[in-house]
Amino acid sequence: MNIPRRSKGFMGSIMVVDLSAQTIETQPVSRKVYRTFLSGMGLAAHVLYHRIPEDADPLGPDNMLGFVSGLLTGTGSLFTGRWMVTGKSPLTGGWGEANCGGHFSPAIKRCGVDGIFFSGISPKPVYLYVDDTAAELRDAAGIWGMDTVETETFLAAQHPGARVACIGPAGERLSLMAGVSTDQGRMAARSGLGAVMGAKRLKAVVLAGKKRIPVHNKEVMKHISRICNKWVQFQPPFLPGFLTAPVGALLRIMPWAFTQDGLLYKILLKKWGTVSMNQISVEMGDAPVQNWKGSNRDWGFFKSLSTNPDVFTSKETRKYHCYSCPLGCGGICRTKGRHPRTHKPEYETVLSFGGFVLNRDVDTIFDINETLNRAGMDTISAGHVVAFAMECFEKKIITLQDTAGMALEWGNPEALSWLVDQIINRQGIGHILADGVARAAVRLGKGAQRFAFHAGGQELAMHDGRNDPGFALHYSVEPAPGRHTNGAWLYYEMYQLWKKITGAPRMPLLYAKARKYETGSDKAAMGSANSRFLNVLNGAGVCQFGAFLGIHRIRIFDWLNAATGWHMTPDDYMAAGTRIQTLKQAFNIKHGIAPRDCALKGRPAGDPPMTHGANKDRSIDIDILMADYWEAFGWDKKTGRPTDRQIAEVTDVS
Amino acid sequence: MAFFISSDCTGCTACKSICPTGAISGEKKQQHAVSDAACIDCGACGHVCPAGAVTNPFGRTVPKIPKKQWVRPFFNLDLCMACGICVEACPANALDIALQKVKDLHPYPFLVQEAHCMGCGFCARACPVDAVTLKERNA
Repeated sequence: MNIPRRSKGFMGSIMVVDLSAQTIETQPVSRKVYRTFLSGMGLAAHVLYHRIPEDADPLGPDNMLGFVSGLLTGTGSLFTGRWMVTGKSPLTGGWGEANCGGHFSPAIKRCGVDGIFFSGISPKPVYLYVDDTAAELRDAAGIWGMDTVETETFLAAQHPGARVACIGPAGERLSLMAGVSTDQGRMAARSGLGAVMGAKRLKAVVLAGKKRIPVHNKEVMKHISRICNKWVQFQPPFLPGFLTAPVGALLRIMPWAFTQDGLLYKILLKKWGTVSMNQISVEMGDAPVQNWKGSNRDWGFFKSLSTNPDVFTSKETRKYHCYSCPLGCGGICRTKGRHPRTHKPEYETVLSFGGFVLNRDVDTIFDINETLNRAGMDTISAGHVVAFAMECFEKKIITLQDTAGMALEWGNPEALSWLVDQIINRQGIGHILADGVARAAVRLGKGAQRFAFHAGGQELAMHDGRNDPGFALHYSVEPAPGRHTNGAWLYYEMYQLWKKITGAPRMPLLYAKARKYETGSDKAAMGSANSRFLNVLNGAGVCQFGAFLGIHRIRIFDWLNAATGWHMTPDDYMAAGTRIQTLKQAFNIKHGIAPRDCALKGRPAGDPPMTHGANKDRSIDIDILMADYWEAFGWDKKTGRPTDRQIAEVTDVS
Repeated sequence: MAFFISSDCTGCTACKSICPTGAISGEKKQQHAVSDAACIDCGACGHVCPAGAVTNPFGRTVPKIPKKQWVRPFFNLDLCMACGICVEACPANALDIALQKVKDLHPYPFLVQEAHCMGCGFCARACPVDAVTLKERNA
């Protein structure tokens, strides 16, 4: 492999912190590793595969927790402010990853490293402080117990200009739904990695480095960024929020589908943020309702109207941009109740505590959003657990005796707030529910597992595979299962990969909707392209909302070459995506995960099929989809295991 | 590559005081030194050195510049996309973001700590859309 000696874009080293021994070491990483796995998630997979032993307890000292930045972060590119938390997931027992925006990603690189990895368990609560002259573990006894906003406020006052990532009480109490928070409410939420941080007694990571990030060709970077920005700023007037629902209904009724252009989604995002999809998704059948048993018929236009996008923008006091983002889909909102302000709830949160539990009270959604952000808990998983508890209450598996007299009825806002508090504080029934639906169902018994929907232990997100089987495939087949960001047929359409990537099937402008629900080699090619491209995005630290603009508008591969000085083709980068995917799958195999066990089961897979609503009579051939996907990677079709040679190729890199 | 302090140093500590990364060490009235690992090449040390003791990575002496001639960033909000790259690029934490346009809820950058600004120009160089220009403070 011919790698230019003066490759740039990355910092060339990682920081390794042994919390047991209280030592901090900076270790160089070879250029070959960057060229093979990029940075970000790929770098983390390379480091963690070799350093976490196969029998490691996710909450024990042998597990490692990594904070990584992206290869493009800080290089003058746009949409490249994503950072990732990685480790062995206590929820799934396999590869764990959580992805977040905010301003923490450049802070990692400005400390002179591409990633910070923690092993061991600290004897007492600590936080890591890094600046240009020092890296040290400091006592966190005084902030242990504080919520995420209090922690960040305190540490920011102690260290002006520093960026903070921290856990809240949920992580401290080892809730397997805990995440890592930054910017007072942006959350690396999935895979339960906040619990890993809590188990290590690591309260926060505080970064105040000011190092400059090397770039090969700044002028080319800027040129590509300007082209990208022109597309982002293209913003024609759009319809009022309450009219988004009929758009969704139209998409449901039509017998054919348009290949969706992400430029349209960008317009929605820029105007409203992710809440733009609140009603569209319900109407078109993308949003699961009432713990996966309901439909748009149960959560129709007038019921979901209280969550129409204009309601959220009316409470917005300012927009929020992550680092290097020209879009600004986030926002800060004023709220009623316990908290005066909160980050604008995301679509996932609104649906998790809206249609998924039949709650029409939008003020409760705002309140729960901030409560969970402060606790440092994943709103998607928490919404799933609450819906699961409500169905168990309906089926009398949970009784009034278990809930101290609180009736966990569908749509009861008082019950929602009460139950969320119980889960955060691990009190009463909350203690049973605080580790996710899979464990809660086992603890409750009495057949509760019929109502617990997850993939390999990870709660699913608010996108229904019965509407877009791509979601079902990627929920099931990815090394970190159950995540909506992994991929979907919709994402494939918006990426428009066929414009740059050899072998990526071209989508027609208009096609019969029934085609979406067929299996076949083109679906395997689409699925594998989604995964490989996402690995490139996560290696580069690129936001998926930027990538949705289409690969011909946001020129990620050109950015990567201009930042690094490499001369790789898009296919070369996709090959790196394949290697990262193989390495993560090998991680799971090493840790005893049987990939087939993560397949969706029950309602989310259309078993039994819905009898009403947008997804009526739809079921998913998940076994066929998974087998075809594995075959596309050259892995064993039955077990999802890469060949020994494939594993050796990605593990023998140093 | 880093800046260098020659033996002309008088140990006045002006450079040490302004260095945004704490890269300069040395006691008062003693020779100061720059840490290669921590130096970010902002040049602020040279701009305040009364003895002309600071050389840049190419070996040229950095001249002292009177403070009133230091440049500071000006932001063209019509071009600005509120991405925050300039704010993160500032080594002195002199920039912040805030609401500035009527009916536009996007927060734009501004110089919040003028006294902290060293005129290094990192913000202008980092801006992908050239929305930041550098002018003298009193311009």
